Amino acid sequence: MDLGAEPPHIEPATEQERALAEENARLRRICGALIERVESAGMGGGAPYGAFEHAVLLAEQVRERTDSLHRTLEALEEARAEAEAANHSKTRFLAAVSHDLLQPLNAARLFASALEDQALPEDAGRQVGHIGRSLKDVEALLGTLVDISRLDAGVLTPDVAVFPVAELLDVLAEEYRQLAGARGLDLHYVPSGMVVSSDLALLARVVRNFLTNALRYTEHGRLLLGCRRRHDGLEILVGDTGPGIDAAQQQAIFLEFRRAVASPEDGDRGLGLGLAIVDRIATMLEHPLNLVSRPGQGALFSIRVPYGRPRDLPVAEAPPGPIDIAGMRVWVLDDDPAILEGMTALLDGWGCRVRCVATPAALEATSRRERADLLLVDYHLAPGDPDGICVAERLCRRHPELGVVVITANHDGELKQRARERGFDYLLKPVKPLRLRLLIANRREANGA
Amino acid sequence: MSDAPAACASPRTAASDSLDPDQAAAELAEALAGPELGCVLFFCSADYPLAALGAALERAFAPVTLAGCTTAGEITPAGYGRGCIVAIGFDRDDFAIACARVADLEAFALPQAQRLVDGLLADCRRRAPAVDARPFVLTLLDGLSSSEEQVLATLEAALGGIPSFGGSAGDDNRLNHTYVYADGGFHDASAVVVMITSRRPFEVFTTHHLRPRREKLVVTAVDRERRRVMELNAAPAAEEYARLVGRTVDELDADIFAHHPLAVRIGEAHYVRSIQRVDDEGGLHFYCAVENGIVLTAMRPAPMLEELSGVLDDLSRRLGPPALILGCDCFLRRLELEARGQADAASRLLAEARVVGFNTYGEQHQGQHINQTFTGVAIGSRG
Repeated sequence: MDLGAEPPHIEPATEQERALAEENARLRRICGALIERVESAGMGGGAPYGAFEHAVLLAEQVRERTDSLHRTLEALEEARAEAEAANHSKTRFLAAVSHDLLQPLNAARLFASALEDQALPEDAGRQVGHIGRSLKDVEALLGTLVDISRLDAGVLTPDVAVFPVAELLDVLAEEYRQLAGARGLDLHYVPSGMVVSSDLALLARVVRNFLTNALRYTEHGRLLLGCRRRHDGLEILVGDTGPGIDAAQQQAIFLEFRRAVASPEDGDRGLGLGLAIVDRIATMLEHPLNLVSRPGQGALFSIRVPYGRPRDLPVAEAPPGPIDIAGMRVWVLDDDPAILEGMTALLDGWGCRVRCVATPAALEATSRRERADLLLVDYHLAPGDPDGICVAERLCRRHPELGVVVITANHDGELKQRARERGFDYLLKPVKPLRLRLLIANRREANGA
Repeated sequence: MSDAPAACASPRTAASDSLDPDQAAAELAEALAGPELGCVLFFCSADYPLAALGAALERAFAPVTLAGCTTAGEITPAGYGRGCIVAIGFDRDDFAIACARVADLEAFALPQAQRLVDGLLADCRRRAPAVDARPFVLTLLDGLSSSEEQVLATLEAALGGIPSFGGSAGDDNRLNHTYVYADGGFHDASAVVVMITSRRPFEVFTTHHLRPRREKLVVTAVDRERRRVMELNAAPAAEEYARLVGRTVDELDADIFAHHPLAVRIGEAHYVRSIQRVDDEGGLHFYCAVENGIVLTAMRPAPMLEELSGVLDDLSRRLGPPALILGCDCFLRRLELEARGQADAASRLLAEARVVGFNTYGEQHQGQHINQTFTGVAIGSRG
């Protein structure tokens, strides 16, 4: 059918044919108009209707794109929420795993300590020493992991007190002077008499971290430890003459598992977590961090700590001297046989008289027959048993002279508070033998007084 | 009847049905006055002696910026009005407003539009230091200029993503002269572009209550300069339309056009193309651009007030109770409501929803010239 040609001329014979011919003519004209329209579609040109149609199509496109943008944003938000949830579950998992690992590590440390105290053939002694140091490294790493997970989970709350900064820095300077000396480096320490307000333990972690890094990355030259007085706080500085840090990397090194340069040290055991912790601690304490460095010219890390008022300083206690603890009677309550065995080995080595029990009932029975100077009690006992603090509390009613040390892998501040309120000492797992020995010595001194 | 509440919340609204320009201006000024008053928009009947009204308003409000247009009916704070003037006062601490007039609609091309929009944006920024204020644009066009489509498409291109809406000025269905007001006077063959920026939440919207029927009419002869359709389905246009609606050509009037609209379909949406009048040659004049070969779908009205009240509820849910809805309401909708005896119910609904505005000869939404809709902006109460 040729739509462009004139319609064939037909002389309508009937009324019906006339109507059909007329309709045919109209349909051809409608068809022609539609063809014209279709063929000019999309040619906005300057035609008014074309402008309208164009505006409609444009608005429709805008609407579609806005919708798809919204969908994309929603998907992104969903992905972000998922990532956040995954991160939270990772944090919880890490905390749980670290906690579970601390338990056997605690036992291993106790055994190693006990072994070290024994007279062993030279080779065996050296190997035990290696085992002890390896365990200590594992413990430090695990501690770091626990700290990171606790910082991320927001359960760690700072314990801020006023103290002379020298109390912290003198010790660190002494410790790191020796370590630096062993590597042929010189540590220059400038003491300060200023008093600051901070969490001593957390701040120590930060400065220790600066020092460890400085030591690790510096091959020649010297380290610097000192303070600079700013109007809004004391800046504790750690400088080195190491390779320095590229400006582009200065932000990144505060993230987990990043290193500026591979450590020259063989068998490097760090996980690259150090500065990530520093960053989290500084954020929590609201102590600003600063880093000045240029590649090839060393680095200067610093943390700014608010000043404390000297009159807020606590009254100093005399440091405990080395005290013989042989003969101390110690009860140990723990539901883990490995721990009991390790404790026995350690305490025996110190000459203590140890009685180990695995249940509160057994302890109860023992306490009816004997007396003791000190109870070492695990906070988490077997399911169904009351917790260590409750057991100790009950026992103390009949044995008011009994000293109590609660041992736990739980870093919960509330637990620490509960123990303190009852006059109990408190040790975190893994138990550090020296800390334990100090506590026992304190007890002896208190009893002797 | 200066019935605006004395409360100083902005925007304030007021209306006067005094036919005396000075008295009307004085009543509005009394209701809208405030130390922060920065801009007044007004919509008035074309019955006013316009030159005198303009002068009276300038005297009453100077140096406050004034913009507005003539109408085919007003929407006052109390609902539909006629032969009166309604005004909205915006305080400058909540709204930064800039105005510009397009004096030559034929010559309004992209470079001019770009300059105009840049100027408005700069002007608003100068008045409103708040960085988080968002703009929208109100357009008021001479409703008998026949150049809405090109002007709007051009302006839309320059506005980019800025929401825009507006209405075409009316003259109470006399179809003689419609005017917009800016630069201190009434002008025909002109457009006024008002940019309003605010931190308040707002939403530009459009709605209509018309649903498609089965019948289709193809435009087969057209005089596009005059928006005149001579033939539908290859028959004289008025006859074919009269046949569709079951009337004679003589009976065709605005009421019938309001009840039996025609629309073009683009994609899934129908856009009403309103008929203005029948001419002596049996052609149909439209309020908007027409073209040969476009397919018109016959439409039927659904209950208008139910539909409108649903839209107003939705707006209120999204923005909170609006402080103001500036509405451009097609005069054919009002004709339909009046014919159905629903004008009072509509007035109550509009007043409750705090709608103020006017009846138009066509509405504008995001660069589209549309007909027989209710189009406007809802402005939330909270900043």
